[in-house]
Amino acid sequence: MGLLDRLSVLLGLKKKEVHVLCLGLDNSGKTTIINKLKPSNAQSQNILPTIGFSIEKFKSSSLSFTVFDMSGQGRYRNLWEHYYKEGQAIIFVIDSSDRLRMVVAKEELDTLLNHPDIKHRRIPILFFANKMDLRDAVTSVKVSQLLCLENIKDKPWHICASDAIKGEGLQEGVDWLQDLSTATTWKL
Amino acid sequence: MLKKFDKKDEESGGGSNPFQHLEKSAVLQEARVFNETPINPRKCAHILTKILYLINQGEHLGTTEATEAFFAMTKLFQSNDPTLRRMCYLTIKEMSCIAEDVIIVTSSLTKDMTGKEDNYRGPAVRALCQITDSTMLQAIERYMKQAIVDKVPSVSSSALVSSLHLLKCSFDVVKRWVNEAQEAASNDNIMVQYHALGLLYHVRKNDRLAVNKMISKVTRHGLKSPFAYCMMIRVASKQLEEEDGSRDSPLFDFIESCLRNKHEMVVYEAASAIVNLPGCSAKELAPAVSGHWAFFQPASHVYVAMKHPSAVTACNLDLENLVTDSNRSIATLAITTLLKTGSESSIDRLMKQISSFMSEISDEFQGTCYPQDTHGPQGKDALCQKYPRKHAVLMNFLFTMLREEGGFEYKRAIVDCIISIIEENSESKETGLSHLCEFIEDCEFTVLATRILHLLGQEGPKTTNPSKYIRFIYNRVVLEHEEVRAGAVSALAKFGAQNEEMLPSILVLLKRCVMDDDNEVRDRATFYLNVLEQKQKALNAGYILNGLTVSIPGLERALQQYTLEPSEKPFDLKSVPLATAPMAEQRTESTPITAVKQPEKVAATRQEIFQEQLAAVPEFRGLGPLFKSSPEPVALTESETEYVIRCTKHTFTNHMVFQFDCTNTLNDQTLENVTVQMEPTEAYEVLCYVPARSLPYNQPGTCYTLVALPKEDPTAVACTFSCMMKFTVKDCDPTTGETDDEGYEDEYVLEDLEVTVADHIQKVMKLNFEAAWDEVGDEFEKEETFTLSTIKTLEEAVGNIVKFLGMHPCERSDKSLLPYIPVLLSSLLGVFRGGHDILVRSRLLLLDTVTMQVTARSLEELPVDIILASVG
Ligand SMILES: Nc1nc2c(ncn2[C@@H]2O[C@H](COP(=O)(O)OP(=O)(O)O)[C@@H](O)[C@H]2O)c(=O)[nH]1
Ligand SMILES: [Mg+2]
Repeated sequence: MGLLDRLSVLLGLKKKEVHVLCLGLDNSGKTTIINKLKPSNAQSQNILPTIGFSIEKFKSSSLSFTVFDMSGQGRYRNLWEHYYKEGQAIIFVIDSSDRLRMVVAKEELDTLLNHPDIKHRRIPILFFANKMDLRDAVTSVKVSQLLCLENIKDKPWHICASDAIKGEGLQEGVDWLQDLSTATTWKL
Repeated sequence: MLKKFDKKDEESGGGSNPFQHLEKSAVLQEARVFNETPINPRKCAHILTKILYLINQGEHLGTTEATEAFFAMTKLFQSNDPTLRRMCYLTIKEMSCIAEDVIIVTSSLTKDMTGKEDNYRGPAVRALCQITDSTMLQAIERYMKQAIVDKVPSVSSSALVSSLHLLKCSFDVVKRWVNEAQEAASNDNIMVQYHALGLLYHVRKNDRLAVNKMISKVTRHGLKSPFAYCMMIRVASKQLEEEDGSRDSPLFDFIESCLRNKHEMVVYEAASAIVNLPGCSAKELAPAVSGHWAFFQPASHVYVAMKHPSAVTACNLDLENLVTDSNRSIATLAITTLLKTGSESSIDRLMKQISSFMSEISDEFQGTCYPQDTHGPQGKDALCQKYPRKHAVLMNFLFTMLREEGGFEYKRAIVDCIISIIEENSESKETGLSHLCEFIEDCEFTVLATRILHLLGQEGPKTTNPSKYIRFIYNRVVLEHEEVRAGAVSALAKFGAQNEEMLPSILVLLKRCVMDDDNEVRDRATFYLNVLEQKQKALNAGYILNGLTVSIPGLERALQQYTLEPSEKPFDLKSVPLATAPMAEQRTESTPITAVKQPEKVAATRQEIFQEQLAAVPEFRGLGPLFKSSPEPVALTESETEYVIRCTKHTFTNHMVFQFDCTNTLNDQTLENVTVQMEPTEAYEVLCYVPARSLPYNQPGTCYTLVALPKEDPTAVACTFSCMMKFTVKDCDPTTGETDDEGYEDEYVLEDLEVTVADHIQKVMKLNFEAAWDEVGDEFEKEETFTLSTIKTLEEAVGNIVKFLGMHPCERSDKSLLPYIPVLLSSLLGVFRGGHDILVRSRLLLLDTVTMQVTARSLEELPVDIILASVG
């Protein structure tokens, strides 16, 4: 344990905690992404469909993230809103290979953006255009077009292409979230 | 922990339950804290407790508000505080049917259930199964299968028991888990094995063959768990019953083989199963009953009977034969056991049999062996409590016995018995009183008649229809001789004092009694008539409902003294020593409350002796009347030491005298000028020492220490005195007894002496606490609430208070009549030094610990303050 770490223990200092909501349609890879972000000893080997939600924690170099990994199945999507108020950032995951349901994803995103607990807050949204490794995956640019992300004017947002199984692209997204937290725009 | 209550709270009863005033909307408001970060686990767990409390109190939570609270609660899963997490599991289970979308926690729970924290896993399984409906079950199926065969017993048991619950709505899914359950059934843990077998049986119970196969497998391989054995015995006997087949069945063999199991529990279960088989023959019964007789030694029969009534039923047949055994002790034992073990349905029959038996044996024996016998009344009491619906039968039985010819002892024992039933069981009061009314219509025993009249006067006015007793009572005035007539007049007056509607007719009846031939009857009638005509509650309470509390011989002596030295001052009743309540501990369960106070005379004499002895010491002149002497001397030395010192405490109005009875056990010493020096912790003031002049070997002597009670802070009466014996030693020759002239000073340290509140309070008995309470009024009423953290039962709590305060529990209020209700109201009564009644009401509430609310009243403030100061 280095000197600084000891000091932080002594002073009871903790990393700033950020509450993140992980949203997106079922099967888009939310749980896989969060699992990959956890320390390797805490990662689970097989990912099962989430029922309801589960709370996971991971740390970046300067932040501590508490993620509410929500279930994406249709019947649970209306339950997301119970957790909007406390969310300080949103990770929205899209399966870039699932063209068929891209419109559904857009619909859910629009509902989210128009929700009273979200609408007027400058809450950062990180988009993962996931499963980029699959053959019929579309590019992240295409995804942002399909979801009309350019219309989001009052919230900081960012989109990364990712492969959750290999863990590619995830760090870029987390870094963006972390940088934003130190920027003044973070103040909600 | 002290908290005052206002009047409104008092009505709702109970002590300082911290959750008593919870308001649903306020609690739900508080639940918003769950949304805050960081989470405060303690605070949140406390709020969850409140929510659970409200739900369990029957508070209705609307779906919307419940759902909102539930979702707020789900956020607490981010905390890893174990207590909070477990509160979450509880909340999930409780709210699973109230809130919507509770499946939201499914993933969180499956995570806990498969996680590393073993303490979370079992509860998580149970919570998970509670929120899972049949459509969701498949999603968690594989977790359940894994949990059933988990190596941690609590996880496995939780999964098995939860599966059993799930079976009701999702039979087809759970059915698929039998392989796992089968594996768990061979688990070494006895609970897991039991639960696994339970699940297997319930999966298969509609398949006779499969169940039989299960049993034969158990017969072959045996089980570890006695619980599992007991269950399989039940299963087997159910199968047998449905088969109503032969006893050659392997099922029967299995049950019989269990009679030889090493666990008593299994043996009992097997025996009970055999005995309860329909049409069980004597031959089949034999092994079962013989198994039992081993446990059935007279000494242990009560134990066995109480623990395993159904098992002992096996022996009832034999016992019924024993009822007529020529050895009457065995007969008595058999009756008592039968009364305890008989089933509710057989009581009528038993009673008949016993009454025939009763009439066969001598009157004297009936009286001593049966109702009065140590087994007798308890047998009856137990019977009444066991079969509360049967008190009518019992009453009838006793009453039939009462009508038979019999001597005084016999009748008295039965009357005692009826009275104790009335006391134990308030439902039976009216029937009992009616029976007794009829009995005194033709009762040749004056003592019994007056006792019953006294009881009628005490209990009758509190019944729903008091007027029906008047005829019986007034008949006594018309028909009986003077002692009974006098008793009847007193009883009548008590009705008049407590019932305004009846008062006019009572007055009419009493007016007739004023013409009676007998002095006593006339005096009573005149006295009561005059008191009643005042129509003042306090007078009624003081002079009709509660009689004198002073000792009668003491009163006689004081009056005589007063006539010898007439003075200007009116005679003060407070100067008369009180009648001490029986000193030999509180009466036992079955002694009726109306019993004549026999020990009174002994106690009065003891106090009289002290009074005389103390009056002879010049230093103690002017202390006034002796208020109380401590009932038992306290030893201040260990046994087998050089000197034996025992102390008796005497309390006067403003002083205390400590009497030290000393014995010198050294045969080569004579002690002279012996005193006990005392050092108080409180503001008591030592006034003088009265030495024992000489203390030769083995001849007891007495010395005294006189102290004044604290004046500055009169509430500080509880005090510890450190004691030191001081004396001059003179050596002497053990053989000749010759003593040296020269002596030397020496000291000897004694144990500390405690003065407690009880030393300042004298027990008194009044029959009507309510009346006395009203009489005193609430001018000096005070109330406080306490938590008794170390005490676990209400009766223990009251027992301690009674002992601590040295007061008398009125109307048996130290006993809980309804053991399953966790509230006990007690009324305690005493007289404080100086002569004022002190009344204490305590309400005790048992939750986790005992909470006690104490209300004290007196005509003066000091006693009330002392009581409350000493309790707190
Ligand atoms: N090929 C590929 N498969 C992925 C990727 N991310 C997730 N998956 C798979 O997609 C399925 C659903 O993933 P899951 O995390 O449960 O999605 P969720 O419902 O959003 O939580 C799983 O079988 C994952 O292995 C990815 O980047 N590439
Ligand atoms: Mg998921």
